[in-house]
Amino acid sequence: MTTILELKEKMIRFYGKNEVFITPVIKFVMAFVMFTLVNTNIGYMKSISRTPVALILALGCSIFPVSCTIFLVTAVILAHLYALSLEVCLVALLLFIVIYFVYFRFAPRHGYDVLLMPLFFHLKLPYIMPVGMGLLREVYSAFALICGTVVWFFLNGVKENAPVLSATDEAEGNMVSKIVIALNQLVGNKELYLVIGIMTATLIIVYIIRRMSIENAWTVAIISGVLFQTIGMIAGYMLIGISGKTVGVLVGNVLCALIALVIQFLFFNLDYSRTERLQFEDDEYYYYVKAIPKAFVSGSDKKVKRFAGKGDQEERLTKKQLAKEMDIDEDLLD
Amino acid sequence: MVNEERLRHLIRVSRFDTNDGKQCKPMTQYARKDYVSMRLLGSFVTGTICFGILLLLWGLYSMEELMVQLNRLDIIGTLTRLGVSYLVFMLVYLGATCVVFQLKYSEGRRKVKKYYNSLKKINQMYEREERLKMPEHKDWE
Repeated sequence: MTTILELKEKMIRFYGKNEVFITPVIKFVMAFVMFTLVNTNIGYMKSISRTPVALILALGCSIFPVSCTIFLVTAVILAHLYALSLEVCLVALLLFIVIYFVYFRFAPRHGYDVLLMPLFFHLKLPYIMPVGMGLLREVYSAFALICGTVVWFFLNGVKENAPVLSATDEAEGNMVSKIVIALNQLVGNKELYLVIGIMTATLIIVYIIRRMSIENAWTVAIISGVLFQTIGMIAGYMLIGISGKTVGVLVGNVLCALIALVIQFLFFNLDYSRTERLQFEDDEYYYYVKAIPKAFVSGSDKKVKRFAGKGDQEERLTKKQLAKEMDIDEDLLD
Repeated sequence: MVNEERLRHLIRVSRFDTNDGKQCKPMTQYARKDYVSMRLLGSFVTGTICFGILLLLWGLYSMEELMVQLNRLDIIGTLTRLGVSYLVFMLVYLGATCVVFQLKYSEGRRKVKKYYNSLKKINQMYEREERLKMPEHKDWE
C-alpha cells in the first residue's frame, strides 16, 4: 500500500511540474483516438480517413481548448456522413445543432465527458462514465452524458444500416426512407431511452451520496451507483424485451466498480491543482508568478526520528509548546 | 521590498481572474433572481430554436404519413397539439435552466466571496501602508 501511495505522490509531483507538457499530450492522444475511432467505424470519406490526416487534426487539437476538438470531431463525422448519404448528413447536422444547444448551454466545461462517452461505449464499458462523473463532476454534467450517449447510438445505428443508407437511388421515396432509417436510430430506440434514464439516475445517486457527510461516502456512492446501475439495466432490458445483455452488464459493472475504486484512490480528497502562470501588477511592481502546487514528501524520503518512544500526543504537545514559545503558527512547524 | 503577505492575496485574486473570472463575473453584478432570469431569457431563445429543429426532424420523419393525411388534416387539432408540445418542451428546458443556473450561481458566489475577502485584505494592507507613509508616522520608516 505504501508503495502505491508513494507512486501516487510521485505522479502528482510529476504532473504538477510538467503540466504544461502533459495536458497537450493528453489532448493529442484523446483527439487522435477519437479521430481514429470515427475513421475506422464510419470512415466513408476515404480522403480524410487516413492516419496522417487524423494525426494533423489531433496535433491542432492539442493546442486548442477541448471544445475545439468536439467541433473538429463533429466536422469529420459530418464529412463521413455526407459521403455516405446527404440525407443522413442533414439529419446528423440538425441533431448536432440541438446537442450543441444543450451541451453549450448547460455543461460547456465538460467537453472531455462528451468525447469519452462514445469511446467507452465502443469499449463496451459505458457504465464507468455515470459513476466517474458522479464522483468527479457536478450534477449538471448529466447533460454531457446524455449528449455523448445520443451521438453514439445515432452513429452506431448509421453504421449498422450503412448498406441501406448508401444506396444511390435518387427517387423521392428513397430519400424519405433514408431519413426515417436515420431518425429511427433515436426515435424508435427503446434501449437509448433506457440507457439515458438509468445512467442519469446513477450519476445523480452517486453525486448525492458522494456529497453526504457520512463515513466512506465515496465508497458507499460507488457501491450504490454500481448496484443501481446493474439492477436497473438488467431489469430494463428484460422489460423492453432485449435479451443477451445480462452477462455484458454484469461484467461491465464489475469492471466499472474496479475502475471507480481506482478513481477514488487517485482523486479522493486531492487537489490536482495545476502549475499556473499569472501576471499582474500593483502600484510598485509587475509580478510574473509561476504558482506550483506543493510537492508531497514520499514515504522513502521521510526520516522519522523517535526519542525515547514518545507517543504522538506528546509530540503534538511539544510542537504546540514550541509554537507557543516561538510565537508562531503551529502549522509552520509541519 | 515585496510585501509577501500582500503578494499571497494578489496571487489568489489573479488566479480567480484567470480561471473563473469570466464565468463568475455576472454573479458579482447581478442578484440570484436577476442572474437566473437572464439565463432563462437566453434559454427561451435557444429552447425555441431547439423545438423548431426537433419539429423539423419530426416533420421529415413523418413526411409520408403527413402527405397521406394532408387533405383531411385537422388543422386546429394539430396546432393545439403542437402548442401543448411546445409548452411542455419549454417547461422542461426552462426548468432545467433554472435548476442548473441556481446551482452554478451558488457555486460561483462562494468563489466570489473568497475573491472579495482577498480584495478587502489587499485594500486594508494598502490603507495601512498609506497611513504609515503619512508625515506623522515618519519615525516608523
